[in-house]
Amino acid sequence: MSKHVDSKQQWEIIQKTFCIDGKFSVNSADDEDLALVVRFVQQLGAGQFVLDLALDAIWTALRQTIVPDFWQHFKAYYDQKHGKDNDEPGEGSVDVMSRVAAAVSELYDGAVSFIPLIHRCEILCEKAGCKWEDCIPGGIMEHFKLHLRATLHSQMPPSFTFLLHKFFSAAFKVFYHAEIDTQDESEEIVEESMQCGGCNAAADACHCQAITNTFNQVNRQLFELDLLERLAGDIISSLLLTVITQHVTTTCRDSFDQSRIHQLEKWVENVVVGWLEVVYCGGRGHLSSADESIQRMVSDNLTHTYMTALYHTYTTTRIDQLFNIVIEYPESQPALDDIRECLDRTHLRDRLVESLRSAIQTRLLHPGVNTTDVLDAYISAIKALRVLDPKGVLLELVSEPVRQYLRGREDTVRYIVSSLTDESSSELSEELLVAAPLVLDDSHSDDDNMDNWETWTPDPVHAHSLKSKSQRTADIISMLVNIYGSKDVFITEYRTILADRILSQFNYDTDREIRYLEHLKVRFGETLTLLHKCEVMVKDVADSKRINSIVNSDENQRRSKQKFPVSAMILSAQFWPSFKEERLLLPEEVTKELDTYTEAFQDLKGNRTLNWKPHLGQAQIEIELKSRTLNLTVTPTQATIIYHFQECSRWSISDLSTITQVPKTILRRKITYWQTQGVLHEVEPDIFVLVEGEDVGEKGHPSVAGTSQSDITPQAIEEDEAESVMASAQDQREEELQVFWSYIVGMLTNLDCLPLERIHAMLKMFVQGSVECSPQELRAFLDRKVRQHHLLFTNGLYKLPKS
Amino acid sequence: MAQNIAPETTVNPSPSKNNSERAVSGRDSHSVTKRLQHELMTLMMSSDKGISAFPEGDNLFKWIGTLTGPVSTAYEGLTYRLSLEFPSSYPYSPPTVKFVSACFHPNVDLHGNICLDILKEKWSASYDVRSILLSIQSLLGEPNNDSPLNGHAAELWANQVAYKKHLHEHYKKVNGDGDSK
Repeated sequence: MSKHVDSKQQWEIIQKTFCIDGKFSVNSADDEDLALVVRFVQQLGAGQFVLDLALDAIWTALRQTIVPDFWQHFKAYYDQKHGKDNDEPGEGSVDVMSRVAAAVSELYDGAVSFIPLIHRCEILCEKAGCKWEDCIPGGIMEHFKLHLRATLHSQMPPSFTFLLHKFFSAAFKVFYHAEIDTQDESEEIVEESMQCGGCNAAADACHCQAITNTFNQVNRQLFELDLLERLAGDIISSLLLTVITQHVTTTCRDSFDQSRIHQLEKWVENVVVGWLEVVYCGGRGHLSSADESIQRMVSDNLTHTYMTALYHTYTTTRIDQLFNIVIEYPESQPALDDIRECLDRTHLRDRLVESLRSAIQTRLLHPGVNTTDVLDAYISAIKALRVLDPKGVLLELVSEPVRQYLRGREDTVRYIVSSLTDESSSELSEELLVAAPLVLDDSHSDDDNMDNWETWTPDPVHAHSLKSKSQRTADIISMLVNIYGSKDVFITEYRTILADRILSQFNYDTDREIRYLEHLKVRFGETLTLLHKCEVMVKDVADSKRINSIVNSDENQRRSKQKFPVSAMILSAQFWPSFKEERLLLPEEVTKELDTYTEAFQDLKGNRTLNWKPHLGQAQIEIELKSRTLNLTVTPTQATIIYHFQECSRWSISDLSTITQVPKTILRRKITYWQTQGVLHEVEPDIFVLVEGEDVGEKGHPSVAGTSQSDITPQAIEEDEAESVMASAQDQREEELQVFWSYIVGMLTNLDCLPLERIHAMLKMFVQGSVECSPQELRAFLDRKVRQHHLLFTNGLYKLPKS
Repeated sequence: MAQNIAPETTVNPSPSKNNSERAVSGRDSHSVTKRLQHELMTLMMSSDKGISAFPEGDNLFKWIGTLTGPVSTAYEGLTYRLSLEFPSSYPYSPPTVKFVSACFHPNVDLHGNICLDILKEKWSASYDVRSILLSIQSLLGEPNNDSPLNGHAAELWANQVAYKKHLHEHYKKVNGDGDSK
């Protein structure tokens, strides 16, 4: 080439070397040209100008051809496939793979084709000492990549993730499938026989390998362009998070009896590291040989993103199941341990409380659930939440609605007390044996035990609104008693149950009751007057036994006159709860014997006498019918009924009611017993006759029907005995409130009108042996009276209506 | 209540107030409270028609009583309010009982003071609020005209029709129109 080249030629060479005209495809310049150009430029001092032109041409090419072409692949796929989700399996993933591969390699090739040009620019810079744009760090190559990314982002169609997501999903599926296979080969054998779990294609036409290869290629190209993380980072991690969620959900489904968390941790580590390796390092097990920066990124992601996600998902899943977990305690202990561990790493306490409360609300606290079940759940909750939070704060927060609800149920106390003293329901009666005094709301104990101050931990943040620590960590019986906040309610109920048991068994055997009473004394405190009453009751039984043996002893001359033996249960009226009053007039024959007994008792006890409760007790009777003889133990009422059939074999209900003084409805119920015995028969409404035999003609041949009827006997008796002879707790309460009512009437008669608070205060002050009555209960009671027009309520004041 | 009669009051039926107060001065006021509380309960639980009383406020020693005129007397249908104040020596000294509502009666003066022997010299510890109220109620129908506090009433008593007319007019005038309680 000539030394003197004119400026036009110079320009042509420059243009050719740097493709300033944008014709990159016909780039035929070589190093010689470059050297020339460098010289020209140095002569002209136009380095900067040429560089700008050259770079500008590249940017234009990127902007106008390469990037739009790249995105066109994605747009086309989206337009074609969008809305048609169910493309054929297998085909789809291969299609996706090839499309993405094509797009990426086109981009890659396009980008790579600029590399010689970039190199020339670098040389130009070096030689001509010019600068490319402002001070962006890195070489022109970095600058080029930055430009590429910027251009890509600026033209990114919103639909691009559609294809990319499919692409990565397909690849992930293949990966995940292989991963599962290596972990446990046993599980998916059946599926595999039909189609490949990785690519959904038939097993014999599995594309897994092809997919993997394409995938690796694409990843490599994107990675080299520094685009992998930018374009696909979100997709890569979202795939992982989805699979973590899925895996956790399936793993945790309905099984609480194993600790899962460590197993899951391992699993996540495996899958995450594996997948990131495949994506960033081109294959499983390549991590150790990869860049340090990649290694760091992988481990950071693992601990920060994915482990956190695991704990979060796991805890959330378990929280949703928490109600079942609580119910299944103690089988669910491992699950609870897991939750406790995870709770410390996540911020889900609030959610746990919320979720469990609402689960309890919807599943437990409605009228369709038996009180026993509610209580069982409450007991489980106490135990289970203690595992989660030994300080009892969670429990306190969660169980408040349960307690409130139980307070509103009428049979709660009865159930608690009866299961406390019931040997068969082990849980509570075992609790009773724990010899520790109750911890109640009002008791104050040292909150902080200084002995183990080194292990002291502060209360969780929720603790602020709660009661004393001692109460939160009280034992189960204390917690149950605290439902009501008062021991009296329980002991009153216990007294009723005790009375029931004594009066229904009549066996004068009190060992068991004494034992329970001792336990109760330990738990509830010796000083409770109600417990003393119970003691007296038990003692009454023993005394009765003694008196019976004296009265019925052979030395007693009255015995000779007796038609039948009488044993009495002598109760000290002051100490027993009130009875359901039922009227019953016993046959004269019986009354006489009772009087004889009373006389004997008076001889024995001097100035004391007996007041019989004729409807309570048991009668052993023998009924001789024409065809059979029955030996039965029945209630006095039943005995009285059948007694009267001795004289007359046909009675109407009303006549019977007159002679026994038993109300007709009760009488009818009692007669049912004799009907099931086959002794009485209702020939026409309200008229009963005695059935002497099944059929008079077949006298002496007890029929099969007769036998089967007597089979019913024990059940029938049981049914009858199940009925409590004691006034129910509610009835007793009604009675107490009736006392209040008298006072309230007195108050309002003399003081005209009073507000609720004043009435409450006055009752508290003036009613002797003041029974507890909360303002709420009083209000409910007064409101009831208002509805019944016994009271007027105006301007917040109660007054009596003018009579 | 029989066991609550103090021996000295039964032996000497009309001791001076000072005497009896001295006799019980050492006693715990707690037992008085207890007795009053018990009386209140008896009263509340009793089903006596037409008599009632209740502590006025927080003080158990000051009660408000209400009684209605006995049936088939001039006082039938009328309601009177009384105040009862118990001394700390109760029940060994009688309570001070006064009509709060104006009461036209031979044995009641214009300030509501009542002339009734059991509230004065015939007092016994065996009486209680209930018996006091019952006595006053029957006094309404059977006044003691020998020692009247209200001469006009005592004079008028002989003519029951005029008495009743005057009584009801008087009652309406002091107690307002029909708003009797």
